[in-house]
Amino acid sequence: MSNTDDKKTQQPEPLQERITPSNKEVIIIAEQSDGIIQPVTYELLGAGRDLANKLGGQLSCMVLGESLGAEVQKLVTYGADEVYVADHPELKNYRTLPYRRVIVDFLSTFELPPHIVLLGSTTTGRDLAPRIAAHFETGLTADCTELDIGPYEHTNKADPEKLGLYPGCLYAIRPSFGESLKARILGPWNNPQMATTRPGVMIPLPPDESRQGKIIPIAVNIQQEDFRLKVDEIVREITEGISITDADVLIAGGYGVNGAEGFELLKQLADCFDNASIAASRKVVDAGWIPYKYQVGQTGKTVRPKIYFACGISGAIQHRVGMNKSGTIIAINKDPDAPIFTVADHGIVGDLYQVVPELIKQLKGANVTQEEKTLV
Amino acid sequence: MSKPFDILVLIKQVPDQGAKAGINPDGTIDRAKAKRMMNPFDRYALQAALHVKKLTGGTVKALSMGPPPAAEILLEAIEHGADMGYLLSDRRLAASDTLATAYALHKLILHVSPFQMIFCGLQTTDGDTAQVGPQIAERLNLPQISYCEDFSLEGDQVKARRVIEGGYQWVHADLPCLMTVANSYHPLEYKKIRGSQKVQHLVRNENEKSKVIKTVTLDDIEADPILCGLKGSPTIVARTDKVAEIGGSCKTRQGQSVDLMVKDVLETTPVKEFLKL
Repeated sequence: MSNTDDKKTQQPEPLQERITPSNKEVIIIAEQSDGIIQPVTYELLGAGRDLANKLGGQLSCMVLGESLGAEVQKLVTYGADEVYVADHPELKNYRTLPYRRVIVDFLSTFELPPHIVLLGSTTTGRDLAPRIAAHFETGLTADCTELDIGPYEHTNKADPEKLGLYPGCLYAIRPSFGESLKARILGPWNNPQMATTRPGVMIPLPPDESRQGKIIPIAVNIQQEDFRLKVDEIVREITEGISITDADVLIAGGYGVNGAEGFELLKQLADCFDNASIAASRKVVDAGWIPYKYQVGQTGKTVRPKIYFACGISGAIQHRVGMNKSGTIIAINKDPDAPIFTVADHGIVGDLYQVVPELIKQLKGANVTQEEKTLV
Repeated sequence: MSKPFDILVLIKQVPDQGAKAGINPDGTIDRAKAKRMMNPFDRYALQAALHVKKLTGGTVKALSMGPPPAAEILLEAIEHGADMGYLLSDRRLAASDTLATAYALHKLILHVSPFQMIFCGLQTTDGDTAQVGPQIAERLNLPQISYCEDFSLEGDQVKARRVIEGGYQWVHADLPCLMTVANSYHPLEYKKIRGSQKVQHLVRNENEKSKVIKTVTLDDIEADPILCGLKGSPTIVARTDKVAEIGGSCKTRQGQSVDLMVKDVLETTPVKEFLKL
């Protein structure tokens, strides 16, 4: 914490402006998989560019890997002023401790700490960011959906040492309590201020091949104790069908489908579409009717398809938060008071075992008509 | 076979967002009125801890931090097979963020050590950060396996499968090690293994209860209060805004014949644009 001449005053008096030392730099920790920079990194660069401009600092990107080649230059193309490259065979695949070592060592070389460090809220970012934040004993906000820069007045006398007016704070904004609230979280007392951002939310800059940036190699000093964990095998699942986060159309089933067999019917509906998958509520995953990878909601995946069919899903808040940003939501439920109708755009009150077959029938009919039209 | 293990599992009591009580219409939680429950993710961590105990023998200690009612979930853990519960309860812990929570819990862990394995839920349903586990691992200088969905013991190492984007990886790590358990971990049913009579007896008999559930303060675990609670937290929630749920304008069809309702939906939505050609 910064040393200040803060006084414990009895009388309310104007808050003193306080600035925690930093070099105003915003650093993005890139994520690569098999040597390919992951989309969340470009999203972070887009968000980071805006923050750096508001702070009047530079936007940097740190990338760890082995022989990343042309991928490094892409980080400049997407907005970085400087790219710090840690190139080492032991950094080829992500592992917590070697990555943590290189990043902590590097950030410790700064005379004034960077202002902001951001990572993606992926299985990698959420594994790594807390270790770095805990090492520097600085604040970290998980899974942000908005970032901004602004001032903050701390007036809470319960913690008098922190009183003051802080300019240039990172506003880390994230949903909370089942996404019914947005919380603005900040921590201007320590730098770097850290956050992870939810993949698919921030907007990358348009790539600009003419952008100039510096590529700076950095030191790698991995220690023996960093090898306490080894990666034996990486398996990318070739899922039959499409991942629920990538599908344009999701046919989601809840307890109302009455059993594992019910999902066969939903699959038939999914088969009518080009890029569709079945999905499920937590209850049916817990019941073992369908694997976890299909689960939508707070403890499953957040999805945003163009069309979301909710079949026999009552729509608890924990489910709604995982799908309420979908394009068109169509709910099919016997119970007209089911909460799913509060987020749906269209609803059919009825038995899904009558409605879904009818949907399939009419969609197949529509398809024939379309084909006939193209023939004419 | 290896020697008996000392296994720790970290659990948290959270508001039951599925229950109606204490949930305000806007989705916020009235913590005083809300029903409380064990964080659902922590059940997987507890199952994992009990699985290790089955393999190695030894003891499972359940650790929690929170106000006195949080002892309920320690009792629940004992009902399911844990041997001991420790509750870190202290007013000076109020308003702890993840860093301060991790500091306090790592002191509690050192207080009850030794240990070979520490299990945590992947995240909590009231905070959703997934940060406390890795932050504790950093404090204790341990390797960590987050998003673990399957594992086995191989000598002094744990072999584990962890979820990654679009797949999974197999890793092995030296012990001691901290693992956060994903909800895709499904080894056994979550069921009580101790008779409820024994638990009822524990509940009624404070003397018996105090033998298996210990409540400790920051002083007991020699934690520095400056690093806990509001003072020890580098972040604060500066403000919250309600998010209006989109929708609220559902066009619902009811009481007509199914074919008409389906036809109407298909005619008023872009569904047909996504058909296979």
